[in-house]
Amino acid sequence: MTRARAALGLLGLLACSPTEHGPRFRAAGARQPRDGGTLRFSVAEPIATLDPAIGYDEVSYYALHALFDSLVGFAPDGLAIVPRLAARWDISPDGLTYTFELRAGIAFSDGTPITPADMKYGLERVLALADSPFTGYLDDVEGAHAMVGHAATTCTGIVASGDHQLVIHLARANPAFLAILAMPFATPQRAAHVAAAGEQLRRQPDATGPFLLARWDEGNRLELRRNPRYYDPARIHLDAIVMLENTPRDTQFQLFERGELDTAEKLGAPDYLFVMTEPAWRPYVHRTVGMNVFGSRMNVTRKPFDDVRVRRAFNYALAKTHTARLLNDSTVPSHGILPPGMLGRDPELAPYPHDVARARRLLAEAGYPDGLDVTYATPSDEETQKVAGSLQSDLAEAGIRVHLDVMSFATFATAVSLPDGPAFSFTSWAAEFADPINFLEPRFHSRSIKPPETGGTTNDSFYRNPALDALLDAAHQELDAGARAALYRRAERILYDDVPWIWDYHRVTAEVLQPYVQGYAPHPIWIRDYTAAWLDLGPDGARVKR
Amino acid sequence: MMRAVLRRIGWTILVLWFVVTTTFLVTALIPADPARTLLGPHATTASIARVRAHYCLDRGLVAQYGCWLDHVVHGDLGESYRSKRPVTQIIADRIWPTAQLALAALVLQLVLGVPLGMLAALRHGRWQDHGATVVALIGQSVPQFFVGTLLLYLFAYRWGWFPIGGYGTGGWDRLAHLVLPAMTQATLGVAYFARVVRVELLDVLGEDYVRTARAKGLHEAAVVGRHALRNALGPLLTVIGLGLGVLLGGAVVTELIFAWPGLGRELLQAILEVDMPLIVGVVLVSAIAIAVVNLIVDLAQVWIDPRLRDDAT
Repeated sequence: MTRARAALGLLGLLACSPTEHGPRFRAAGARQPRDGGTLRFSVAEPIATLDPAIGYDEVSYYALHALFDSLVGFAPDGLAIVPRLAARWDISPDGLTYTFELRAGIAFSDGTPITPADMKYGLERVLALADSPFTGYLDDVEGAHAMVGHAATTCTGIVASGDHQLVIHLARANPAFLAILAMPFATPQRAAHVAAAGEQLRRQPDATGPFLLARWDEGNRLELRRNPRYYDPARIHLDAIVMLENTPRDTQFQLFERGELDTAEKLGAPDYLFVMTEPAWRPYVHRTVGMNVFGSRMNVTRKPFDDVRVRRAFNYALAKTHTARLLNDSTVPSHGILPPGMLGRDPELAPYPHDVARARRLLAEAGYPDGLDVTYATPSDEETQKVAGSLQSDLAEAGIRVHLDVMSFATFATAVSLPDGPAFSFTSWAAEFADPINFLEPRFHSRSIKPPETGGTTNDSFYRNPALDALLDAAHQELDAGARAALYRRAERILYDDVPWIWDYHRVTAEVLQPYVQGYAPHPIWIRDYTAAWLDLGPDGARVKR
Repeated sequence: MMRAVLRRIGWTILVLWFVVTTTFLVTALIPADPARTLLGPHATTASIARVRAHYCLDRGLVAQYGCWLDHVVHGDLGESYRSKRPVTQIIADRIWPTAQLALAALVLQLVLGVPLGMLAALRHGRWQDHGATVVALIGQSVPQFFVGTLLLYLFAYRWGWFPIGGYGTGGWDRLAHLVLPAMTQATLGVAYFARVVRVELLDVLGEDYVRTARAKGLHEAAVVGRHALRNALGPLLTVIGLGLGVLLGGAVVTELIFAWPGLGRELLQAILEVDMPLIVGVVLVSAIAIAVVNLIVDLAQVWIDPRLRDDAT
């Protein structure tokens, strides 16, 4: 009897426990943004560093955006360039000289005014560091090469002039230069602080942005506090941002559901489907098409991919709807490398249709009437595994027998950049600054094929086309946005026909917010940038229960 | 005695050298380019070359090994490719959470496993014995990720009795965060300890001296506690030693599920990013933990059991 009662009790406990399906909290109903509160979110990986010249991964970026302001920035809702530390700027007609007027009253978080010399030092530090991933972005700056090669200790093209002016001379025009300067590495730094912090610089950021570092229990929890000396206090509403590191996806969603996190992103498939189908949550899911592209690259110098008919056959054989379904419809089918919203993307082009008969016909014409066997290299994460499985079954219908070769990401990344590495593999690319230069040149310009012994090949389909190179070079020098867009559309058309990749999809970022999180949507480039968000809390500053 | 001790220490050093060299070779032979992993896809050729030179990656395998071994003997395990922090510093940060988890798990294993084994042995052939055997069998068979996920779901998410993952801020909060991971980590050990104690105790309970003790009219508790259990504990000590060594080496699955910032999780992250200095460093520390604990257990047994002294010399 006692045991039966205990069992019943346990069942009761399971049945009666809280399993509300919707949000536990609601917006208080403020009409205007209100100040105060702490926004809490989590990430699955650790923050690598808070040094803006080094921090390169997505997770470190989340903190770096809040800590550092650059001369310019992206508008919170898109790709438009807006002033930040620079109040205004002037670009010479030949596109080679950028003159920035620094805003009055800008200061580091300890109150010391920011000078053009600090700005110059910040940029030069990127060129001088052996392991800064950003040196390449300053390639077009006059004198940059001499600094990278240690032939000079200062960059002649970066000139600090007076109290408020910074002039940057380019050796070659670069219409994406402003977008490059929107990245967090292009922030002022003080030589004295860098020297004093030494190896601790990665933990002691000299903040110039809307938030400053309050506490970092590395690997666990980062706390940012509102910077009281920020030049534009109206931009900030939150008192603090807390970022939990190393939190697995499932744990993230459990914490979110219990109200211990304010936002959740990169949800596991069951959780994503849950919030998308649960009416109580659905209004709080925000979706943004990211500045990214996913597909499969083929080494066009190797058989059978040296035949364009084979490459087209592969494109026709893939059913993008299958990939989309597997990824819970969080994709947009692609017809090329440029994502929606990007300058130069040709809206006239339609993705390759799923046409198995045509694929078979093209393969027969290319000399493969009985189909063929290929090996497909893929990293071992969940998403790529799904994509690879889907591709394998789609291509099988057209007689293409795909054998999967799964490897760790690090092994994969090196292997595919080698001319004799895997000829056919998964590929992806994400923008760091929103410009077609950032997509087309690294992936398809012949200049981006490097000798294997030096490494650095990003054109890993080893695609060489002088006509495309000429178009990309012309676009790199073209200052008129309309004319540039036209050149990129022509480039897209060439790649659409030559198909060095199987164009597959652009990923949609989906993030679910607690109902009281306002003024925020995932940014197409930065993704989780909460600097302008606000919390619609109760008058006592507490979250209001439903 | 002294010779035995020195010989064990010598073996330990040899084992450590072997582990470290093997780990170095395996990581160095992985066809991944750490410079590229570190700098990302947009890096220029010049910066890749600079990073390779910085970490001796542009030299041959033997030179790389020499370069690295030289640093290791000077107590410098290099810098993590990813975070640019000294590996020793990262390990120092991570080893305390792992040690807390290991010790908490060990306490649970002892507190639950030993009585369970005793119960099974003393009630041999009865339902308590069968029950304990089934519990031990389940504990040994159920994978850790399942136990962890189940505990997390029920006790943290559903009922909210414990926090959902994380390390806590210290004091009682830390303790609250520690309970579920420690329980997860202890499951296998509880089952294993119970089985070892049961088998050993059953063995000992059939010995003549136990019968003599009972014949003298000693209370059963004294017979078991003072005579039987004490003699059954030798093998348990070995099991504890092995288990503690492994626990100190980090618990990848448990640390991952509960977002516990220990060595195991750090190792997994390092492996995924081919962060070679960190991988080798963590493996080295884990190997030291296992080797040192084993050495202590070996020496303790030599000290406890005079028969082993003769064998050892």
